[in-house]
Amino acid sequence: MNTYDVIVVGAGNGGLVAATEAAKAGYRTLLLEKHNLPGGCATSFVRGRFEFEPSLHELCSESSSPKLDGISTLFRDLGVDVPLVYEDTLFRAIVKGEDGYDVTLKAGKEPFLDSMEAAVPGCRESVKAFLDLIEPIDEAQIDMNENGLNPIRLFKDHADFLRVAAHSADEVMNALGVPEKAQHLLNTYWGYLGVPTDELNALHYLSMITCYIYGHPSMPHYRSHELSLALIKKFQEYGGEVRYNSEVTRFLYNGKHECIGVVAGGKVLYAKKIISNVIPNNVFNRSDDRHISPRSRKLANARKLGMSVSTVYLGLDCTMQELGVNDYSVFVMSDKVPRKQYENRRDFGMYIVNCLNKVLPDCTPEGTSTLFFTVPFFPGDLPADLTPQDYKKFKNALAEKYIRDYEKVMGISIVPHIEEISIATPVTFARYLGTPDGTIYGYATEDWDNIIARTAMKDADYDTANLYFCGGHYIRGDGYPSGYITGHMAATDVIQALKEGK
Amino acid sequence: MANFNISALNRAKFVSMVAKRLRVISKSSDAPVKALSTYHANELADALHPHVQFLTVKEIIEHSPDMKSFLLAPDVSRGTKSLAWFSAGQYLSIALEVDGQTLCRPYSIASSPRDALQGIYRITVKRVGGGLASGFMLDNWTIGTKVIASAPLGEFTYEPLRDAKTVVGIAGGSGITPFRAFAKAITEGDEDFRLILLYGSRTMADAVFSDEIAEMAEHCDKIQIVNVLSEGKKVKGAESGFITAKLIQKYAPQGEDYSIFLCGPQAMYDFADKEIATLGIRGKFVRHELFGEYFHPEKNADYTGDKDEVYNITVRMAGEETVISCKGDTTLLRAMEAAGIPAPSDCRSGRCGWCHSQLLSGDVYVPESVDGRRMADKMYGYIHPCCSFPLSDIVIDVPPMPGM
Repeated sequence: MNTYDVIVVGAGNGGLVAATEAAKAGYRTLLLEKHNLPGGCATSFVRGRFEFEPSLHELCSESSSPKLDGISTLFRDLGVDVPLVYEDTLFRAIVKGEDGYDVTLKAGKEPFLDSMEAAVPGCRESVKAFLDLIEPIDEAQIDMNENGLNPIRLFKDHADFLRVAAHSADEVMNALGVPEKAQHLLNTYWGYLGVPTDELNALHYLSMITCYIYGHPSMPHYRSHELSLALIKKFQEYGGEVRYNSEVTRFLYNGKHECIGVVAGGKVLYAKKIISNVIPNNVFNRSDDRHISPRSRKLANARKLGMSVSTVYLGLDCTMQELGVNDYSVFVMSDKVPRKQYENRRDFGMYIVNCLNKVLPDCTPEGTSTLFFTVPFFPGDLPADLTPQDYKKFKNALAEKYIRDYEKVMGISIVPHIEEISIATPVTFARYLGTPDGTIYGYATEDWDNIIARTAMKDADYDTANLYFCGGHYIRGDGYPSGYITGHMAATDVIQALKEGK
Repeated sequence: MANFNISALNRAKFVSMVAKRLRVISKSSDAPVKALSTYHANELADALHPHVQFLTVKEIIEHSPDMKSFLLAPDVSRGTKSLAWFSAGQYLSIALEVDGQTLCRPYSIASSPRDALQGIYRITVKRVGGGLASGFMLDNWTIGTKVIASAPLGEFTYEPLRDAKTVVGIAGGSGITPFRAFAKAITEGDEDFRLILLYGSRTMADAVFSDEIAEMAEHCDKIQIVNVLSEGKKVKGAESGFITAKLIQKYAPQGEDYSIFLCGPQAMYDFADKEIATLGIRGKFVRHELFGEYFHPEKNADYTGDKDEVYNITVRMAGEETVISCKGDTTLLRAMEAAGIPAPSDCRSGRCGWCHSQLLSGDVYVPESVDGRRMADKMYGYIHPCCSFPLSDIVIDVPPMPGM
C-alpha cells in the first residue's frame, strides 16, 4: 500500500500540475502537502466579509505563439475548466517627481503600441521591433521542441534567438534604438521577475511581457484558490491520492544514491519517481548528505535567493469609485530606471497596488472594495535587529508608510475606510512556504543563472536519480505560469522515464 | 532615423553563457547547504509561530470552585525553551486527552505579551455546563501537569490602522480574559489605545479581574473600567442592569469615532448587537471575539434537517477509513472527537480554517453566521466540520493532525 509510481512533494502550482498529469497518464500517484490546503500561495484567506487573493496579480494564460503551449492549453489538456476574466489594461505606471510620468498601457498588440506611441511619440517602430523578436524566439523554441537542441542549426537558422537569449533586456532594447522613456515603460514589469533589466535576460523578459500584452492579463472569479481546487478535483478524478498536513521530513535513497521514497507524517512511502515542488535547499536539508552530489551542493550554494515581498491586504468599506481608484494594477516608482528602483527598494523604489474590483466588480460585498499592496523584499532586507516583540510594530509601520504614500500619489483617502487589514512580510512567507528567507519563487535569475543557462544545463544540474523538480526554483524562474509549466515538464520527464522502464 | 538592428548583438555570446555558469558553480563551496533555521526570516517565523508549544502548569489561582486561572510555563524538557510572543486578544488552542477523546479548545490568553517574555501564559477556565474540556481541566490539572498548546492564534486584536483610538470593550463573564491582556499590554506600552471597559457580571463577586483592572486604571489614564451588574443590590460606582446602547453612549467619547470590541457568551452578543445597531456605528468599528461552538441548528429558519436523526459518517484520514455516527444537531467535529478520531481544530467557530476537510458525498447544514469558508470551497465541496451538521449519511476526507 505504501508504494507508488510517483510521489509529488508539495501541492504548489508545479506539484498540482505534475501530480495531475502523472495520474492522468495512469500512474499511481500520491501528492503530499504540508498544509491543509492545496496551492501554496495560490490560495485565499477570509477576514470578516472579505476573501483576499494572497499572491496572484494576474495570469498570463496564453503563450505568445499559438504553436507554443500557454497555461490555458495546459489546463484544457488536463480538463481543468476555470473561467477567467480578462482585463484590457496592462497597468498604470507612475514615476514620482517633476520629470516623472503617469502612463496607462493597454493590452492587445495594437492597443499596446498605440498607447506606447501616445506616451512616447515616435517609439512605435522600435517597440514593435522589440516585441516582434518573440517570433524568431518562438520559431527556435518550436524547432527545439520538435527536433531537439542542435547547436549548428541554432547558429545557422536562429541567429536572432541566440542574440536575444545572450543579452540583457536593456542591451536588446538599446540595440533596437528603443527611446529611453519607452524602455522605462516597457521595463515596468521587471519586479515580476525580481531582477532589474540591466541584468535580466532579454528572452526571459520578452517572453513574459508578450504573454501579458498579447494574451491580456486575467483573473479567476474566486481567487487563485479556485485554480488550486480545480486542479485537485481533476487529480482525484484521475485516481490520484492527496494527503494534507503531511510534510515530508526525509527523502530516502538506496546504496546507489537513487531516491526511492520519503517519510511524511511519520510514514515511510516509496515510489519509482519523486517530483519535488519543494526547493532543492530544503530537499538537501532533509536528505543524508552523502546522497547529494558535490555538484548539486555547489550549485545550491552558488545561487542567490530570489525575491520575497511584503504585502498588505485591505478590505475597505467604500466602493472603488468612492475611493477614487480606477485602475486594476498601478506601479508606483521613485525613479524611471529599474536598477535605481531596486536600490531604493526600502524607500518607495517600486511598489504595486491592485484593485481587484476593477476586474471582478463583485469580488467584495456591495458597497466595499479591496486593495492589495506588494512591496519587494530581497534577502537581507529585513532589519537585522528585528525581534519577535518588535515585529508587529515593524509591519504596521511598513503598511502605513506605503498606504500613506499611495494616498498622496493618488490624492485619495484610504485609511479611514479600512475595515479589514492583513499584512504579510518575508517572515509570513518563510512561515507559510518554508523557503529560505521567505523567497517566493526560489533563486534569482541573475545573469549567470538566467533561465537560458538553466535550461541548457538542466541535466547536469539535477543529477539525483529518480528525483525531479518543478516550481519557480526550477529552470523557468519566477511566476505563476512557470510553476504550472515546470510541473508539466517534470511530469513529461517522469512519464517518459517510466514508459521506458528507467 | 538611425539604423538600429538586432544584428549589432553578437550571437556567439550565447556559447559563453554555459561556460560562465559552469565557472560560477565550480568556484562555489560543496559544503552542505545552510540550515533553514539559520535564515533571519525563518528564525523569526519559528519564534512567532512555533508548530506546537509544550507547557507545564506552574501555578493555579482559584477564583471560585468553578473558575481557575492556570499559569503555564515552557516545558524545556520537551523542547519548548521560551513562549511565543503574541498580540493581546489572541488565544491558545489547548490539546487535551479526555476519556480516549482528543480535544482542542481555544482559550484567550489573559496575561500580557510581556508576561510571555517572562515565561508565563495565563489562561482562565470556567466550568461550562456539561463542558467536557473545562471540567477536565478544573478537576484534573495540578501543578506540573503537562500541556500541549498551539502558537498564539486569532484576530481579536487591536489594529492601529483599522480601529479607532478609543475602544469601548464589552465583556461578559469569562469574556473578560482578553481584556485583561489588552489592559496590561497598554500599561506596559505594547498597545497604544484608550480602553473603556464595560464589564457585565451578575454580582461583584462574579467580576473576576475587575479589581485588578481597576488598579491598572488608577495608574494609567488610558484605561477605565465600569462594572455592570445584572443582579443584586445597587453597588456604589457600578452600573446596574445590562450593557445597553444608552450605557455605551454614556461612557463612549463624544464627537469622535470609537471602536467596540465584544467578548462574551452568545446571549450577550445577541443582546449587545441589537443595542449597538441603534447607535449607527460603522460596521468596521464593531469587532467580536469568536462566537464559539454552535448549538441548536434546528432553531434556524433555514435548517432543513432532522435534529434527532442519526447518520453514518465515513471518515477518511491519511488513507484509512472509519465509520462513526453523528446526530443531526451535532457537528461533525464533535462526532469525530467522541469517536476518538484526532481531527484538527482550533477556533471551533468556523473562522480559522484549521479543520478544513473535503466532503466526498452527502449534505451538510452550515449556519450562515459561522460559515467562514472561501467561495471556491463551497463550489468544490469543502467544509469546516466544526460548524457543519449532517443532513444525510456522509463521506468526508479529514487531514490528519500534523505529525500524527
